[in-house]
Amino acid sequence: MAALLTLSLSDSSVTNNQSLSSRSSNRSPRIEENERRKREADPFVLALKYFSEVKVGTPVVGNDELENNLVQVEKVAFTMGLSPEAISVMLEFAMSLRMGSSPCARVLKCLIPASVVPQDAVVRAVVWLSVGAIPITTQVLFIKWVLTVFDMIDAKDKLRAIYGIIFSFVTEENLCPFICHLLYLLTRKESVRVFRVRKLLELQSKLGRQPFLMHLLSLYKVFCPELLTISIPSRMRSGFKNHISPWKSALMALQKTNSVKVAPGITLAFAVKDKTGSRKRKLHQELPELSAVTNKEPETEQTRRDLVPIVQISSFTQLLENIHRIELPAQMASLLGSSLALHYLDCVQDESALLRLNFWLGCALQEEFLFCSDGGANQEEGLQFLSRLLFAQQFLQEGFPSSTVFLYKFLNVWNGSLLCPQILGLLSDISVIPSSQIRTLLLEPLMQLFFTSSLFFKCGLIECLNTMLVKWLTWHSVYTLDDDPDISLDGHTSVNITLSGFRDSVMELVQFVGQLASVGLQLEGCHSLLLSFILDFYETVCDTFLKFGLHLIIMPPPGVFYPAFFATDPVSVDRLAYIMCRYKANLMSAKIQEKVTEKAFHISRQTFRQFNQYLIFMVNCLWNSSMYSPETELLLSEELLAKSNVPQYWTYFDFIHHPAFMSYAVDFHQMCWPDRKNMDLNSIKQSKPWSWYLQYLVTQGFDGLKDFIKDTIKGVVTTGSGDESATLRQQLDSA
Amino acid sequence: MEKSRTSVTSTPISSVSTRRIRRRSFRQSTRSHFGVASRLGLTPGQTTHRFNTSRKAPKPQNITEKVSPEHLALLVKTEWHLCYVTPLYRFRHTQLKSYARQLSAFIAAEKQQGLGVEVGGLQDTFKVSMSVLQGLAETNDDPETVLIQVQSRPAFARQDEPLKTVWSGWLSCINGNPEYLHSLPKDFTCLPLFGSRGLEGLSSLVKSWLRSTFDCFFGPLDINQTTLRWLAALWTNCHMESNIQHLKMQWTLPAAPPLHVAYTVNSSDALALWRSVRKSRAADQEACIEIEEVTSFMEGLTSHFYRHFGVDLSAGDLNQVSTALGSAKVKGRMKISSSRYLISTLSLLTECAFLKIPI
Repeated sequence: MAALLTLSLSDSSVTNNQSLSSRSSNRSPRIEENERRKREADPFVLALKYFSEVKVGTPVVGNDELENNLVQVEKVAFTMGLSPEAISVMLEFAMSLRMGSSPCARVLKCLIPASVVPQDAVVRAVVWLSVGAIPITTQVLFIKWVLTVFDMIDAKDKLRAIYGIIFSFVTEENLCPFICHLLYLLTRKESVRVFRVRKLLELQSKLGRQPFLMHLLSLYKVFCPELLTISIPSRMRSGFKNHISPWKSALMALQKTNSVKVAPGITLAFAVKDKTGSRKRKLHQELPELSAVTNKEPETEQTRRDLVPIVQISSFTQLLENIHRIELPAQMASLLGSSLALHYLDCVQDESALLRLNFWLGCALQEEFLFCSDGGANQEEGLQFLSRLLFAQQFLQEGFPSSTVFLYKFLNVWNGSLLCPQILGLLSDISVIPSSQIRTLLLEPLMQLFFTSSLFFKCGLIECLNTMLVKWLTWHSVYTLDDDPDISLDGHTSVNITLSGFRDSVMELVQFVGQLASVGLQLEGCHSLLLSFILDFYETVCDTFLKFGLHLIIMPPPGVFYPAFFATDPVSVDRLAYIMCRYKANLMSAKIQEKVTEKAFHISRQTFRQFNQYLIFMVNCLWNSSMYSPETELLLSEELLAKSNVPQYWTYFDFIHHPAFMSYAVDFHQMCWPDRKNMDLNSIKQSKPWSWYLQYLVTQGFDGLKDFIKDTIKGVVTTGSGDESATLRQQLDSA
Repeated sequence: MEKSRTSVTSTPISSVSTRRIRRRSFRQSTRSHFGVASRLGLTPGQTTHRFNTSRKAPKPQNITEKVSPEHLALLVKTEWHLCYVTPLYRFRHTQLKSYARQLSAFIAAEKQQGLGVEVGGLQDTFKVSMSVLQGLAETNDDPETVLIQVQSRPAFARQDEPLKTVWSGWLSCINGNPEYLHSLPKDFTCLPLFGSRGLEGLSSLVKSWLRSTFDCFFGPLDINQTTLRWLAALWTNCHMESNIQHLKMQWTLPAAPPLHVAYTVNSSDALALWRSVRKSRAADQEACIEIEEVTSFMEGLTSHFYRHFGVDLSAGDLNQVSTALGSAKVKGRMKISSSRYLISTLSLLTECAFLKIPI
């Protein structure tokens, strides 16, 4: 055996030399000659040559040549690291014990790889290990070295091929912990065999609950849960220790100088296993751990052979490589716990798998929040659970059916404050509900909550409904093609939704928010925070046609329009102006499309009429200082307004006197006529100051107003005819 | 508007969009179970609405012919702790032996934390047996009931001493909602009712093994007020055929400290009251019992109590009902004393369990 090995050793050194020389073969002979000479003169090369050729039985004591050469190698190793060839030579020298065991440890300690470690060298060293003459401390040192450089070994296939040989060292008491670690790194599904399981169990009965055995066994369980089972106490889930210490300083130094990525992942990733929370509590919503399937279908055992349990996947790259052969975990709900698994969940097509997840989720939610008897004593856990669920749903950009069903029930018992942000977040993920059910399921419970809750809840709810609407519209615009207006949106909910059905649902939702907003604004005295959220909502609504391609345009109710227009803060008025511009753009292009395609959709006259009313009212108020509106819904009678004793009340909502802009008018007045003692705001109305004033307003950042003026009022700046009645550039009329 | 709608519906769907839809359909398919779910959604929060408001009077059945006497002896006269279970994934009645091996290895591994246990190896502490409890299924859709028993040898027992059953439990589905059972994919077996008795620790071990093996969820099955009232009425109705001896009820009233009331009614008095509230011909045994009758029966009982003691029981909660035929507690404990009414009681409980399954 030894003779055979030495023979093959010399073979390998020959091939090494060949590979060294063949590298430079394509250069010119002269340069090559020079290089060769230089290389031969290099003491490091000479040293390597010495170690590869030294005879068996050469004495160590008093051998200066050995000492000098070893110093040479160490010098290179600690400064630059050793090349793969050098590592092969030195490892071979040390493990073959050609000069006895004394220089062994010293050589091993200087085996600092510069780039990679050749797999063959390690395999040969393992074979030397089994020859058995090496002292046990050196053996341990060698395995520690393998563990340290494991990630730098260029390939692992041959190492896996000699899994059985490595496994046989498990019985060596001193080696066992390190061998277990190495096996842990090398184990694949096919290496788990009954006889190995029995051997390990036998060892465990001898050695007791050793962490290294437990970890290896638990890995075996991951691969073959049908062979063995083990339960690891939570305090022992720390993973393997690393054994980098003899090489640490050298590796670190090298890492700095070479900027080579040395030894990543030396600490073992046990990420899936470690849980931070204490295991004391028995809660319903505690996510199950990722674990491999025990209950396998016997008939599919063949095809299952090359499946990878998802527990084994620890990086996104791995996920991509194995995406076609990942085995789902025993409990689907465990996927919710890891963000990597969520990536996979997004591509799971298996109906049963998703149903399993929904069963679990539905039960966990109802047990925790509907049937709970302890009255929310563990709110902290509930919060974490919902946040995690919310994260998953946002990641998948879709609500789970079971959480939707849960919400329908929960809304009826919710007090509006328990876990409010999370519940509202989940609520906004609800997918389109058929218009026949939307009232009973969603809107009525929400209405009750809205009117009985604080201002902040009202704002939150409007925001949530806005998000929901955006999601519905986005969903629609993604899954409908322009040339294909009626996509049967089947399956999106239980009832097949046609496009018109979808439109009805959206209409129902928007009108509902309109009602909420009108009453809400009254209740809260047109609070500007609430108004701002409502205007957010209408910024979505006004663009349904152009932005989302939905053939539906809904105007805000008067209860929203007028409070926004009479608001005392300029921002609201500005946003209203922007919204009106967008409405106009949408209506115009809808009208054009209606003419061109002659099919499409039909916007009711009522919508146009309402838009025109609003527009005329706005322009008249802001521009013409009159409150005239054709068929206004303003039901205030003249007498009532006259009673207020405000002279010429109709002039009080132009750009100068509107409460939102008054302060700007005053500022402008002071800038224009700094010397005037008596302030006369009406003097701005003259044509020149008027156009300057408008420009001044625009420079204050009112982009909505700017667009509004540009869009709707003719010849503002050009003619500067402020006191003349401006005309509407474009009268939209459906008639 | 109408016109445009019809015109759009007739537009053929292009191939591109159908492909897109298919990609999407995977999660939709889960929603196809929403046939059940959306119905659930229509009566949000109030599950009792889906509860049968009318049911047949329980008929005494001689199931000794169908079920083996040992099994019957196991089921009756013991108090079971009830749970509901979501449908089991990849459960096969043919694999019970291998499940038993896995479960016993699992229990052994959990009991000796950190030690590996070979599946199928010799277990000297716990032995699990799983078997089919033949004869309980009522319809063809009902999966057969499964019985699980854990046996153990006492710590200092001699080697030849017989094993003692320390825990037993069963998974059952009697008269399950056929619509629901059919809507489930093939991979699922619906056994929603789980009863257990024995050491609490073993219960949670068995449950956690079932959970991880069949990806199901266990939740406590409370026997709610409505069910308890039903049981009281149904059992009273049984007095026509077999003596129930007495109707015992326990109430808790929200006073400080809480007032516990034990209310026992003589069986013949209860039956007389029951007969008086029965709208349908009392002679007609086949007639269904309506929820209104149950309500007025309970009202009769509580108003009688009020007349004598001035305490209005309807303000409190009914916690427990018991007769010679069995007893039921609100915390999900059920004891069936007579095998003649075993099936009807189990179907009532199965119905309760179905109500708890979220989709």
